[in-house]
Amino acid sequence: MNSLPSTANSDNGRHENGETSTGDARDRDLMLNFLGKVRLSATTRGDAKEEDEGEESPTELNTINSAGGFLIVSPDKLSVKYTNTNLHGHDVGVVQANKPAPFKCLTYYFEIFVKDAGSKGQVAIGFTKESFKMRRQPGWEVNSCGYHGDDGHLYRGKGTGEAFGPTFTKGDTVGGGINYASQEFFFTKNGALVGKIPKDIKGDLFPTVAVHSQNEEVSVNFGRNKFAFDVKGYEASERNKQQIAIEKISIPPNIGYGLVKTYLLHYGYEETLNAFDLATKTTVPPIHIAQEDAIDEDDSSYDLHHRKTLRELVRTGEISAALEALRTLYPQIVQDDRSVVCFLLHCQRFIELVRDGKLEKAVKYGRLELAKFVGLTGFQDIVEDCFALLVYENPEESSVGYFLKDSQRELVADAVNAAILSTNPNNNNVQRSCHLHSHLEKLLRQLTVCCLERRSLNGDQGETFRLHRVLSNNSTRR
Amino acid sequence: MSLFRILINQLEEEDEEMATSKKVITREGWEKKLNAVKLRKEDMNTLVMNFLVTEGYVEAAEKFQRESGTKPEIDLATITDRMAVKKAVQNGNVEDAIEKVNDLNPEILDTNPELFFHLQQQRLIELIRQGRTEEALEFAQEELAPRGEENQAFLAELEKTVALLVFEDASNCPVKELLDISHRLKTASEVNAAILTSQSHEKDPKLPSLLKMLVWAQNQLDEKAVYPHINDLSTGKLEDPAE
Repeated sequence: MNSLPSTANSDNGRHENGETSTGDARDRDLMLNFLGKVRLSATTRGDAKEEDEGEESPTELNTINSAGGFLIVSPDKLSVKYTNTNLHGHDVGVVQANKPAPFKCLTYYFEIFVKDAGSKGQVAIGFTKESFKMRRQPGWEVNSCGYHGDDGHLYRGKGTGEAFGPTFTKGDTVGGGINYASQEFFFTKNGALVGKIPKDIKGDLFPTVAVHSQNEEVSVNFGRNKFAFDVKGYEASERNKQQIAIEKISIPPNIGYGLVKTYLLHYGYEETLNAFDLATKTTVPPIHIAQEDAIDEDDSSYDLHHRKTLRELVRTGEISAALEALRTLYPQIVQDDRSVVCFLLHCQRFIELVRDGKLEKAVKYGRLELAKFVGLTGFQDIVEDCFALLVYENPEESSVGYFLKDSQRELVADAVNAAILSTNPNNNNVQRSCHLHSHLEKLLRQLTVCCLERRSLNGDQGETFRLHRVLSNNSTRR
Repeated sequence: MSLFRILINQLEEEDEEMATSKKVITREGWEKKLNAVKLRKEDMNTLVMNFLVTEGYVEAAEKFQRESGTKPEIDLATITDRMAVKKAVQNGNVEDAIEKVNDLNPEILDTNPELFFHLQQQRLIELIRQGRTEEALEFAQEELAPRGEENQAFLAELEKTVALLVFEDASNCPVKELLDISHRLKTASEVNAAILTSQSHEKDPKLPSLLKMLVWAQNQLDEKAVYPHINDLSTGKLEDPAE
């Protein structure tokens, strides 16, 4: 499948304004993705500052929304004492943390230490909603849950509890936690796990402590001091459990080989592909890649050699030569000088001039080729960022330094590759979507969406899935 | 209505409830989500490089570094050494393999008595295969028996291996699988894994784990939603949700 594009398919070329067929519109959408990718590389600095970082955690007890009159919160807002003599069940002294438990993580956990069990030892630890009635034990009302010291029972939404664990009293450290992955509450006593129950409450949950008889006194640790319970170890074992469940799943043997092969084909890494092919055939035993049919179906070997040549030109910064080659081989790709591919190539040429320190030439080139994109939504911001390179003495270290990185060349090379794939006359409309994504990429996208979707159905609780994190986690476990 | 009927009806109602409580995501909506995923090319390249390096395709890894600019996570020269060891075992040159491992890092065998035993056992198997019975016995007594005394499991393995000598024609032997090529491959992959571990590198590539994770993630999501699946991992073809 290495035929040169026939003259017939140069009719497929895009026209500046009138998108004549849905196919063309779709091609344009596909290519516009690459502009998104440019912006992505501008924002992703090691994944660190994505949304779930910097979630606030409880730090102290809430002194405003608590059952005043029955209890006193200490000046450091980290301990609470019942000062009244309780008369009936509605005189519980309840206090919540100042903030709800963070939820964009695997677990949340806090501990209390019972300083004094008072006259009846009716201390409780649990989680409640913001609107919780502050004179009721956590767990007595719906949308709350609590582990009670006097009977060791667990209460969740009813006046009666269920047998759960040991009682706790003066001198005991008791912890309450939420496991967002399994959607469970768990409780601990003196550093050991007591038990867990399903979490059926949605929305924000506040760490909550209750005292209910004279002189009961409890201090709270929101993580400022070392916990009695090994939370990190618990998290690790929960992760491990999941990992073991995943490793148990069986997939067809050697399936990775076919995916790597189609990936290399898709992106035009021809030399790698040849070396890989040769090696898989000569290993003992030879690896039979079963997906030959699937590969042909997608026609991913289309114009492999041309794609390889162009990739190499872009990757070595020979942008003028790349444009020249495209004019000769694929005039339909470059006939519209305002297409995404042309735009990216012109930007890259500009970037290469800056890299070589030819600033004056860069300015001239920019005026000639990039100025026409100013005013076009989706293009202008990138043009501006490109020109920003001129401002800095050391542009590599500037906020637009990503343009000078290898990954930018790779991105432009990928865009050219996708544009060439879209000229394949054998593609019908269904296969058009294949241009942009290799099989491997489709699988990774599906994986990501499944994980995100599941998380979103859990009220956005738990860790987000990030491929980058999975890949950089180079543990030598197992 | 009989009690049985009532029960059946109840079950059916529950079934319906289960079905309706699942979120239904159309193909169009799903594809929109798929396209919105911010996937970085470098990450995919890293994944492919990790596969090439871990599986030991050194030439392909070199080319890939050149063609994609992806840095391999370990020195590519160490792959060549590792593959030379692996190949030696695959070809039955166990003595050579042991020497090569020790050249690479003598700690590998010192800290892995089980691996060292398996290599010695493989060497014994090769001697028996070649009909060098006397040599084989001498080797078993001098090198392997002392290790068997230290470890019951090793002793059992050793006895099993020596049993190969009982039959003149090994194809009649109940432990003939030891002579099979697959046993060499098993030993080879064990030594391969040990070398990778000694280089603080995972012994398995990440790609198969991610594929398993995909199957797992789909299973998990199935409990809560109906959406288009990928069932064929080799093509990544998106299939409409079952009615």
